[in-house]
Amino acid sequence: MMDPSQEEQPSAGSQPAGWSRWLRIVVAGRNPKATLVRVGVLIVTCFLLFNRFVLLPIQIEGISMLPTYKDGSWNFVNALAYLQHGPRRGDVVSIRLAGIHRMYLKRIIGLPGETVAFENGHVLIDGQVLDEPYEKTPCDWDYPPVKLGPDEYFAVGDNRTMPWQAHKFGRVGRDHIVGKAIL
Amino acid sequence: MKIALRLVLLAALAALGVWLWMILFPSPEKVIRQRFAALARAASSSADESDLMRLAAGQNVAGFFSTNVELKVEIPNFNDHSSVEREEIAQAVVIGRSRSGGLKVTFPDVNVAVNPDKLSAVADVTVDADVRGEHDSFLQEMKFTLHKVDGQWLIIRVETVRVLS
Repeated sequence: MMDPSQEEQPSAGSQPAGWSRWLRIVVAGRNPKATLVRVGVLIVTCFLLFNRFVLLPIQIEGISMLPTYKDGSWNFVNALAYLQHGPRRGDVVSIRLAGIHRMYLKRIIGLPGETVAFENGHVLIDGQVLDEPYEKTPCDWDYPPVKLGPDEYFAVGDNRTMPWQAHKFGRVGRDHIVGKAIL
Repeated sequence: MKIALRLVLLAALAALGVWLWMILFPSPEKVIRQRFAALARAASSSADESDLMRLAAGQNVAGFFSTNVELKVEIPNFNDHSSVEREEIAQAVVIGRSRSGGLKVTFPDVNVAVNPDKLSAVADVTVDADVRGEHDSFLQEMKFTLHKVDGQWLIIRVETVRVLS
Protein backbone atom coordinates (compact mmCIF):
# COMPACT_ATOMS: atom_id res chain seq x y z
CA MET A 1 0.00 0.00 0.00
CA MET A 2 1.19 3.52 -0.80
CA ASP A 3 1.67 6.09 1.91
CA PRO A 4 -0.58 9.10 1.16
CA SER A 5 2.09 11.50 2.34
CA GLN A 6 4.40 10.12 -0.34
CA GLU A 7 1.77 10.78 -2.99
CA GLU A 8 1.42 14.45 -2.01
CA GLN A 9 5.13 15.10 -1.76
CA PRO A 10 6.84 13.66 -4.83
CA SER A 11 10.51 12.94 -4.61
CA ALA A 12 13.10 15.10 -6.36
CA GLY A 13 13.45 12.56 -9.16
CA SER A 14 9.74 12.76 -10.16
CA GLN A 15 9.62 16.62 -10.15
CA PRO A 16 9.86 17.15 -13.96
CA ALA A 17 6.91 14.82 -14.52
CA GLY A 18 4.93 16.68 -11.85
CA TRP A 19 5.69 20.03 -13.43
CA SER A 20 4.69 18.87 -16.91
CA ARG A 21 1.41 17.49 -15.52
CA TRP A 22 0.79 20.77 -13.73
CA LEU A 23 1.52 22.73 -16.91
CA ARG A 24 -0.79 20.50 -18.93
CA ILE A 25 -3.59 21.06 -16.43
CA VAL A 26 -3.05 24.83 -16.55
CA VAL A 27 -3.07 24.93 -20.36
CA ALA A 28 -5.62 22.27 -21.26
CA GLY A 29 -7.44 21.54 -18.00
CA ARG A 30 -7.98 18.18 -16.35
CA ASN A 31 -10.11 17.07 -19.28
CA PRO A 32 -8.61 18.45 -22.52
CA LYS A 33 -11.67 17.50 -24.62
CA ALA A 34 -14.04 19.38 -22.33
CA THR A 35 -11.64 22.35 -22.29
CA LEU A 36 -11.60 22.38 -26.08
CA VAL A 37 -15.40 22.44 -26.19
CA ARG A 38 -15.47 25.24 -23.59
CA VAL A 39 -12.93 27.28 -25.56
CA GLY A 40 -14.96 26.75 -28.76
CA VAL A 41 -18.18 27.88 -27.09
CA LEU A 42 -16.38 30.90 -25.62
CA ILE A 43 -14.96 31.90 -29.01
CA VAL A 44 -18.35 31.60 -30.73
CA THR A 45 -20.08 33.51 -27.91
CA CYS A 46 -17.49 36.31 -28.02
CA PHE A 47 -17.73 36.50 -31.79
CA LEU A 48 -21.52 36.77 -31.68
CA LEU A 49 -21.40 39.25 -28.83
CA PHE A 50 -18.65 41.51 -30.06
CA ASN A 51 -18.84 41.32 -33.80
CA ARG A 52 -21.85 42.85 -35.45
CA PHE A 53 -24.69 41.28 -33.49
CA VAL A 54 -24.79 42.84 -30.04
CA LEU A 55 -21.85 44.95 -28.96
CA LEU A 56 -19.72 46.53 -31.64
CA PRO A 57 -16.37 47.84 -30.45
CA ILE A 58 -15.57 51.20 -32.04
CA GLN A 59 -12.65 53.59 -31.92
CA ILE A 60 -13.58 57.24 -32.26
CA GLU A 61 -11.66 59.23 -34.85
CA GLY A 62 -12.01 62.97 -35.17
CA ILE A 63 -13.18 65.81 -33.00
CA SER A 64 -16.85 66.16 -33.95
CA MET A 65 -18.09 64.65 -30.67
CA LEU A 66 -15.84 66.65 -28.34
CA PRO A 67 -15.97 67.13 -25.40
CA THR A 68 -18.21 64.08 -24.87
CA TYR A 69 -15.95 61.67 -26.77
CA LYS A 70 -12.27 62.30 -27.33
CA ASP A 71 -10.37 61.45 -30.47
CA GLY A 72 -8.89 57.98 -30.21
CA SER A 73 -11.12 56.80 -27.37
CA TRP A 74 -12.93 53.47 -27.44
CA ASN A 75 -16.60 52.75 -27.04
CA PHE A 76 -19.19 50.07 -27.71
CA VAL A 77 -22.36 50.28 -29.75
CA ASN A 78 -25.37 48.33 -28.60
CA ALA A 79 -26.90 47.01 -31.80
CA LEU A 80 -30.00 45.79 -29.96
CA ALA A 81 -30.82 49.16 -28.38
CA TYR A 82 -33.56 50.00 -30.87
CA LEU A 83 -35.35 46.70 -31.22
CA GLN A 84 -38.25 47.80 -29.02
CA HIS A 85 -38.28 51.52 -29.82
CA GLY A 86 -36.64 54.01 -32.14
CA PRO A 87 -33.75 56.32 -31.24
CA ARG A 88 -34.58 58.96 -28.63
CA ARG A 89 -33.56 62.59 -28.49
CA GLY A 90 -30.14 62.95 -26.89
CA ASP A 91 -29.01 59.41 -27.78
CA VAL A 92 -25.54 59.10 -29.23
CA VAL A 93 -25.85 56.72 -32.14
CA SER A 94 -23.59 55.14 -34.69
CA ILE A 95 -24.54 55.72 -38.30
CA ARG A 96 -23.32 53.28 -40.89
CA LEU A 97 -22.22 54.03 -44.43
CA ALA A 98 -21.95 51.09 -46.85
CA GLY A 99 -21.16 48.84 -43.88
CA ILE A 100 -20.16 48.93 -40.26
CA HIS A 101 -16.38 49.15 -40.60
CA ARG A 102 -16.53 52.96 -40.74
CA MET A 103 -19.38 54.77 -39.04
CA TYR A 104 -20.33 58.24 -37.90
CA LEU A 105 -20.95 58.85 -34.21
CA LYS A 106 -23.54 61.59 -33.72
CA ARG A 107 -26.21 62.73 -31.32
CA ILE A 108 -29.89 62.55 -32.23
CA ILE A 109 -31.57 65.92 -31.75
CA GLY A 110 -34.54 65.69 -34.12
CA LEU A 111 -37.20 62.98 -34.32
CA PRO A 112 -39.39 61.91 -37.27
CA GLY A 113 -41.87 64.53 -38.40
CA GLU A 114 -40.18 67.40 -36.55
CA THR A 115 -38.69 70.55 -38.03
CA VAL A 116 -35.11 71.23 -36.94
CA ALA A 117 -33.24 74.51 -37.31
CA PHE A 118 -30.27 76.34 -35.81
CA GLU A 119 -30.63 79.97 -34.76
CA ASN A 120 -27.76 81.85 -33.13
CA GLY A 121 -26.28 78.52 -32.11
CA HIS A 122 -29.49 77.25 -30.50
CA VAL A 123 -31.32 74.21 -31.79
CA LEU A 124 -34.97 74.86 -32.57
CA ILE A 125 -37.37 71.93 -32.67
CA ASP A 126 -40.66 73.00 -34.25
CA GLY A 127 -39.72 76.57 -33.31
CA GLN A 128 -38.95 75.78 -29.65
CA VAL A 129 -35.42 76.05 -28.23
CA LEU A 130 -34.02 72.63 -27.31
CA ASP A 131 -32.32 72.31 -23.94
CA GLU A 132 -28.97 70.63 -24.51
CA PRO A 133 -27.16 70.00 -21.20
CA TYR A 134 -24.43 68.04 -23.04
CA GLU A 135 -23.59 71.06 -25.19
CA LYS A 136 -20.68 72.86 -23.54
CA THR A 137 -18.95 74.55 -26.45
CA PRO A 138 -19.89 77.93 -27.92
CA CYS A 139 -21.87 77.80 -31.14
CA ASP A 140 -23.08 80.49 -33.54
CA TRP A 141 -24.69 78.34 -36.21
CA ASP A 142 -27.60 79.55 -38.29
CA TYR A 143 -29.11 76.81 -40.38
CA PRO A 144 -32.46 76.88 -42.20
CA PRO A 145 -35.32 74.66 -40.99
CA VAL A 146 -35.27 71.04 -42.09
CA LYS A 147 -38.51 69.07 -42.07
CA LEU A 148 -37.89 65.43 -41.19
CA GLY A 149 -39.72 62.61 -42.92
CA PRO A 150 -41.62 59.82 -41.12
CA ASP A 151 -38.51 57.64 -40.90
CA GLU A 152 -35.84 60.31 -40.53
CA TYR A 153 -33.83 61.63 -37.60
CA PHE A 154 -31.61 64.68 -37.29
CA ALA A 155 -28.09 63.86 -36.09
CA VAL A 156 -25.30 66.25 -35.19
CA GLY A 157 -22.02 66.17 -33.30
CA ASP A 158 -21.51 67.83 -29.91
CA ASN A 159 -18.56 69.92 -31.07
CA ARG A 160 -20.10 72.90 -32.82
CA THR A 161 -17.17 75.27 -32.44
CA MET A 162 -16.28 74.98 -36.11
CA PRO A 163 -18.43 76.49 -38.92
CA TRP A 164 -21.38 74.27 -39.79
CA GLN A 165 -20.00 73.87 -43.32
CA ALA A 166 -17.07 71.95 -41.84
CA HIS A 167 -19.29 69.66 -39.77
CA LYS A 168 -21.03 66.54 -41.04
CA PHE A 169 -24.61 66.56 -39.78
CA GLY A 170 -28.21 66.42 -40.93
CA ARG A 171 -31.01 64.04 -41.80
CA VAL A 172 -30.38 60.33 -41.46
CA GLY A 173 -32.66 57.44 -42.31
CA ARG A 174 -33.60 54.96 -39.59
CA ASP A 175 -32.05 52.15 -41.66
CA HIS A 176 -28.61 53.77 -41.33
CA ILE A 177 -28.69 53.92 -37.53
CA VAL A 178 -26.86 50.85 -36.24
CA GLY A 179 -27.18 51.29 -32.51
CA LYS A 180 -26.55 53.35 -29.43
CA ALA A 181 -23.20 54.16 -27.84
CA ILE A 182 -23.20 52.66 -24.36
CA LEU A 183 -20.37 54.51 -22.59
CA MET B 1 -13.88 2.17 -39.86
CA LYS B 2 -12.75 1.95 -43.47
CA ILE B 3 -16.06 3.38 -44.66
CA ALA B 4 -15.77 6.28 -42.22
CA LEU B 5 -12.24 6.98 -43.36
CA ARG B 6 -13.31 6.90 -47.00
CA LEU B 7 -16.16 9.27 -46.26
CA VAL B 8 -13.83 11.70 -44.53
CA LEU B 9 -11.38 11.52 -47.42
CA LEU B 10 -14.22 12.03 -49.90
CA ALA B 11 -15.46 15.08 -47.98
CA ALA B 12 -11.92 16.50 -47.83
CA LEU B 13 -11.52 15.91 -51.56
CA ALA B 14 -14.84 17.61 -52.28
CA ALA B 15 -13.84 20.60 -50.10
CA LEU B 16 -10.52 20.82 -51.93
CA GLY B 17 -12.35 20.70 -55.26
CA VAL B 18 -14.74 23.48 -54.24
CA TRP B 19 -11.82 25.59 -52.97
CA LEU B 20 -9.88 25.08 -56.22
CA TRP B 21 -12.99 25.88 -58.27
CA MET B 22 -13.45 29.13 -56.33
CA ILE B 23 -9.79 30.05 -56.88
CA LEU B 24 -9.80 29.24 -60.59
CA PHE B 25 -13.29 30.54 -61.37
CA PRO B 26 -14.04 33.33 -58.90
CA SER B 27 -17.56 34.74 -58.74
CA PRO B 28 -18.19 38.20 -60.27
CA GLU B 29 -18.67 39.56 -56.74
CA LYS B 30 -15.22 38.38 -55.72
CA VAL B 31 -13.64 39.74 -58.91
CA ILE B 32 -15.25 43.15 -58.31
CA ARG B 33 -14.07 43.19 -54.68
CA GLN B 34 -10.56 42.41 -55.86
CA ARG B 35 -10.85 45.25 -58.41
CA PHE B 36 -11.77 47.69 -55.66
CA ALA B 37 -8.89 46.49 -53.50
CA ALA B 38 -6.56 47.07 -56.47
CA LEU B 39 -8.13 50.49 -57.11
CA ALA B 40 -7.52 51.49 -53.49
CA ARG B 41 -3.86 50.51 -53.79
CA ALA B 42 -3.52 52.37 -57.10
CA ALA B 43 -5.21 55.50 -55.75
CA SER B 44 -3.01 55.66 -52.65
CA SER B 45 0.17 57.66 -52.91
CA SER B 46 3.28 58.42 -50.92
CA ALA B 47 4.79 61.83 -50.29
CA ASP B 48 8.02 61.23 -52.20
CA GLU B 49 6.55 60.37 -55.60
CA SER B 50 8.33 61.34 -58.78
CA ASP B 51 6.49 62.91 -61.74
CA LEU B 52 6.90 59.72 -63.72
CA MET B 53 5.35 57.69 -60.91
CA ARG B 54 2.43 60.11 -60.79
CA LEU B 55 1.83 59.77 -64.52
CA ALA B 56 1.93 55.99 -64.29
CA ALA B 57 -0.41 56.04 -61.31
CA GLY B 58 -2.84 58.30 -63.19
CA GLN B 59 -3.00 55.84 -66.08
CA ASN B 60 -3.28 52.95 -63.68
CA VAL B 61 -6.25 54.47 -61.82
CA ALA B 62 -7.92 55.53 -65.08
CA GLY B 63 -7.68 51.91 -66.24
CA PHE B 64 -10.35 50.96 -63.71
CA PHE B 65 -12.84 53.26 -65.44
CA SER B 66 -14.71 53.09 -68.72
CA THR B 67 -13.82 55.47 -71.57
CA ASN B 68 -16.74 57.67 -70.51
CA VAL B 69 -17.73 57.92 -66.88
CA GLU B 70 -20.87 59.51 -65.55
CA LEU B 71 -20.24 61.37 -62.31
CA LYS B 72 -22.89 62.44 -59.86
CA VAL B 73 -20.78 63.51 -56.93
CA GLU B 74 -20.79 66.24 -54.35
CA ILE B 75 -17.25 67.50 -54.24
CA PRO B 76 -16.39 71.20 -53.81
CA ASN B 77 -15.63 72.98 -57.11
CA PHE B 78 -17.06 70.12 -59.08
CA ASN B 79 -20.23 69.96 -61.14
CA ASP B 80 -22.94 67.94 -59.49
CA HIS B 81 -23.66 65.90 -62.57
CA SER B 82 -21.20 65.53 -65.40
CA SER B 83 -19.52 63.13 -67.71
CA VAL B 84 -15.76 62.73 -67.86
CA GLU B 85 -13.43 60.82 -70.12
CA ARG B 86 -10.87 58.35 -68.92
CA GLU B 87 -8.03 60.69 -69.84
CA GLU B 88 -9.51 63.44 -67.67
CA ILE B 89 -9.54 61.02 -64.74
CA ALA B 90 -5.87 60.26 -65.30
CA GLN B 91 -5.07 64.00 -65.35
CA ALA B 92 -7.12 64.63 -62.22
CA VAL B 93 -5.28 61.83 -60.40
CA VAL B 94 -1.89 63.29 -61.41
CA ILE B 95 -2.89 66.79 -60.26
CA GLY B 96 -4.39 65.46 -57.02
CA ARG B 97 -1.29 63.45 -56.21
CA SER B 98 1.04 66.35 -56.91
CA ARG B 99 -0.94 68.61 -54.54
CA SER B 100 -1.28 66.17 -51.67
CA GLY B 101 1.64 65.13 -49.54
CA GLY B 102 0.47 61.53 -49.50
CA LEU B 103 -2.86 59.81 -49.64
CA LYS B 104 -4.12 56.52 -48.29
CA VAL B 105 -7.33 55.24 -49.83
CA THR B 106 -9.25 52.28 -48.45
CA PHE B 107 -12.64 50.76 -49.16
CA PRO B 108 -13.53 49.22 -45.81
CA ASP B 109 -17.00 48.12 -46.94
CA VAL B 110 -17.85 46.94 -50.44
CA ASN B 111 -21.34 45.55 -51.09
CA VAL B 112 -21.71 44.15 -54.58
CA ALA B 113 -24.95 43.33 -56.36
CA VAL B 114 -24.44 41.69 -59.74
CA ASN B 115 -27.34 41.97 -62.17
CA PRO B 116 -28.86 38.74 -63.53
CA ASP B 117 -27.20 39.30 -66.91
CA LYS B 118 -23.80 39.01 -65.13
CA LEU B 119 -22.55 41.88 -67.28
CA SER B 120 -23.36 44.78 -65.00
CA ALA B 121 -23.19 45.34 -61.28
CA VAL B 122 -23.69 47.99 -58.62
CA ALA B 123 -21.25 48.35 -55.75
CA ASP B 124 -22.11 50.27 -52.61
CA VAL B 125 -18.76 51.33 -51.19
CA THR B 126 -17.44 53.25 -48.20
CA VAL B 127 -14.57 55.43 -49.35
CA ASP B 128 -12.03 56.38 -46.69
CA ALA B 129 -9.33 58.73 -47.91
CA ASP B 130 -6.69 59.74 -45.42
CA VAL B 131 -4.71 62.76 -46.58
CA ARG B 132 -1.31 63.06 -44.94
CA GLY B 133 -1.14 66.00 -42.58
CA GLU B 134 -4.90 66.40 -42.20
CA HIS B 135 -6.55 65.34 -38.99
CA ASP B 136 -9.92 64.16 -40.31
CA SER B 137 -10.15 61.67 -43.11
CA PHE B 138 -12.59 61.97 -46.01
CA LEU B 139 -15.35 59.49 -45.39
CA GLN B 140 -18.10 59.00 -47.92
CA GLU B 141 -20.49 56.34 -49.11
CA MET B 142 -20.48 56.03 -52.89
CA LYS B 143 -22.32 53.95 -55.43
CA PHE B 144 -20.36 52.59 -58.38
CA THR B 145 -21.99 51.09 -61.46
CA LEU B 146 -19.78 48.67 -63.34
CA HIS B 147 -20.00 47.01 -66.74
CA LYS B 148 -18.10 43.98 -67.92
CA VAL B 149 -16.24 45.04 -71.06
CA ASP B 150 -13.94 42.53 -72.78
CA GLY B 151 -13.81 40.44 -69.63
CA GLN B 152 -12.94 43.39 -67.37
CA TRP B 153 -15.19 45.09 -64.86
CA LEU B 154 -15.00 48.82 -65.58
CA ILE B 155 -16.63 51.64 -63.63
CA ILE B 156 -19.13 53.55 -65.77
CA ARG B 157 -20.90 55.62 -63.13
CA VAL B 158 -19.95 57.11 -59.77
CA GLU B 159 -22.57 58.55 -57.46
CA THR B 160 -22.42 60.07 -54.00
CA VAL B 161 -24.76 58.53 -51.42
CA ARG B 162 -25.87 61.11 -48.89
CA VAL B 163 -26.08 59.49 -45.47
CA LEU B 164 -26.24 62.73 -43.49
CA SER B 165 -27.94 65.46 -45.49
